[in-house]
Amino acid sequence: MTENLAVVEDLHFSRAATPIFSGVNLRVRRGQITAVMGPSGTGKTTLLKLLGGQLQPASGKISVFDQEVARLERSALFKLRSRMGMLFQSGALFTDMSVYENVAFPLRVHTDLPETMVRDLVLIKLEAVGLRGARDLMPAELSGGMTRRVALARAIALDPELLMYDEPFVGQDPISMGVLVQLIKRLNQVLGLTSIIVSHDIGETLSIADYAYILSGGRVIAEGTPAELEASKQAEVRQFVGGLPDGPVPFHYPAADFSEDLFGIAKEADHA
Amino acid sequence: MLDLLAGLGRKQLDILAALGRSGIFIFQSLVGWPKSTEALSLWVRQVYSIGVLSLIIIVVSGLFIGMVLALQGYTILVDFGAEQALGQMVALSLTRELAPVVAALLFAGRAGSALTAEIGLMKATEQLSSMEMIGVDPLKRIVAPRLLAGFFALPLLTLVFAMVGVGGGWLVGVDWLGVDGGAFWSNMQSAVGFQQDVINGVIKSLVFALAVTWIAVFQGYDLVPTSEGISRATTKTVVYSSLVILGLDFILTALMFSNI
Amino acid sequence: MPKQRWVEISVGGFMLLGILALVFMALKVSGLTMNADRNSFQVEAYFGDIGGLKPRSKVTLAGVTVGRVAAIELDEEWFEARVVLEMNSSLQGKLSKDTAAAIQTAGLLGDNYISLTPGIEDEMLGPGDTLRDTQSALILEQLINQFITNSSRD
Repeated sequence: MTENLAVVEDLHFSRAATPIFSGVNLRVRRGQITAVMGPSGTGKTTLLKLLGGQLQPASGKISVFDQEVARLERSALFKLRSRMGMLFQSGALFTDMSVYENVAFPLRVHTDLPETMVRDLVLIKLEAVGLRGARDLMPAELSGGMTRRVALARAIALDPELLMYDEPFVGQDPISMGVLVQLIKRLNQVLGLTSIIVSHDIGETLSIADYAYILSGGRVIAEGTPAELEASKQAEVRQFVGGLPDGPVPFHYPAADFSEDLFGIAKEADHA
Repeated sequence: MLDLLAGLGRKQLDILAALGRSGIFIFQSLVGWPKSTEALSLWVRQVYSIGVLSLIIIVVSGLFIGMVLALQGYTILVDFGAEQALGQMVALSLTRELAPVVAALLFAGRAGSALTAEIGLMKATEQLSSMEMIGVDPLKRIVAPRLLAGFFALPLLTLVFAMVGVGGGWLVGVDWLGVDGGAFWSNMQSAVGFQQDVINGVIKSLVFALAVTWIAVFQGYDLVPTSEGISRATTKTVVYSSLVILGLDFILTALMFSNI
Repeated sequence: MPKQRWVEISVGGFMLLGILALVFMALKVSGLTMNADRNSFQVEAYFGDIGGLKPRSKVTLAGVTVGRVAAIELDEEWFEARVVLEMNSSLQGKLSKDTAAAIQTAGLLGDNYISLTPGIEDEMLGPGDTLRDTQSALILEQLINQFITNSSRD
């Protein structure tokens, strides 16, 4: 077994005519928290879906647990996925099941454990996220932060080796944000997980990550430990880590010259 | 001009691609559907939400359609002194046409649109993706039980519709307008054949069930996961289902009843 | 889980209702009888012209329905219509062999049916026998034609 749990080599992917990735290389080391950061719309969620085999790359190689994801058969892929957990941005709890049933779901479909054992495991996982008392609530009755914690309990129900977080900090109030940050860090240490966090909340992410990549314009523009990134002199990294509105990573979506655009409309109005 | 042609061609290819996707979709959902007790309980739950919950609208519409048929039929038949034939008119129109078609149209509006919206919302809230990542195939877990429940429920609803319709016809014809009850039933029995009318009606409704459920579930699964996408897909389900039902009805009627 | 139980019970009720509807459609609406084959016997009759007679048309005796037309086919030797009648078995051995069969019309525009008139012979009609005394359908257009030609000859 290599030290790298997931490897992405020279990944190309495009949606419709827009290229999302053009030549991305990533390495996720066992037992670490790896962060993938970048401005919105750089395809961070897409990257996770590619790792989980929900999307197929145009070219390049993605391997997880030393298996090339895109080459796997449907059944082998589902088997591989049972070793991964993923926390979706919205939580994605099954709305027709209670909190308890949501967490029990992966156990029910992948194991033949007796009901008492399922119950114990579910309660352990719920206790880990501090929501053992909320087990009988329906997802609609939960707050956003609680939803994400239940989803986290569900993602770790099968004790996966690799846990992927999609924007775990978005839209959280400072308290639940702090709770989540601590939770992710602790879970990684206690359960010996490997984690990938995809996020644009730089401060929180860098505070727990062991290694980070910054994506922009379809490629990795910088990588390193949080300390290295913060000390970096590279302009893009400075802009991103410092949170400056404009810089090498443009604030504007590509467009024609602004004054020309305005004049163009004025001319058309004249004609009319 | 060339642009227009190219656009048209692209549109055709899009339609062809959607058709292909829907074919692969139904194939992957139904092949190797697990026959465990859990699958059965998922199916039962869907029969409940698709079939049992549609019962009220089916029963009420069936009753009224039977009553209207009897009322209209009576005013026409009484001119020829043939009001004895009321039973046969009501029963034949119900078993051959109205029960399969109207039940299917109501089913598309009541259960089909709900299916599309439900699956669409699951897609929009990433529930389908997260199920995939848990290692459960949503085609098998979400889609297949719904498809099979739809195939099963509509023929039953059609039979209930026809029964209630005949009852409504009897209520108006015999109980209210005073047509002779004996003649009502005996004329009906001599005119309606079990095989060529009742069974053919059930076959029709089975075909409609396949079409409507397939369209509804596929539209839900294939939609653009935004609120606009969901509303558009729900509309599409009802429109496409209705058109397909009426078109198929013509073809099936031509095949079944043209040589009787 | 009580909810799951309610779902199961109501789905069971739904299926039962569907079966009930099928049975209703079969027995009450289409008049299917389970033992139609055992309780009937077949006789044949040849007609020169059957008019609008169809399979499943009624066979009556003194106005009472006593059977149905089971099949109609062309006899290719004599070019007549061979009609198979399915009669209630209660009449087996009770109708004489020279019973007459006539194709009549219910009302002016109604369906064609076969009306039987009992004969006087001692020998009784059994399964597979042929009715000799038959009267073809009256065809309205032919009657009118005849009437016109006859009256113009006068």
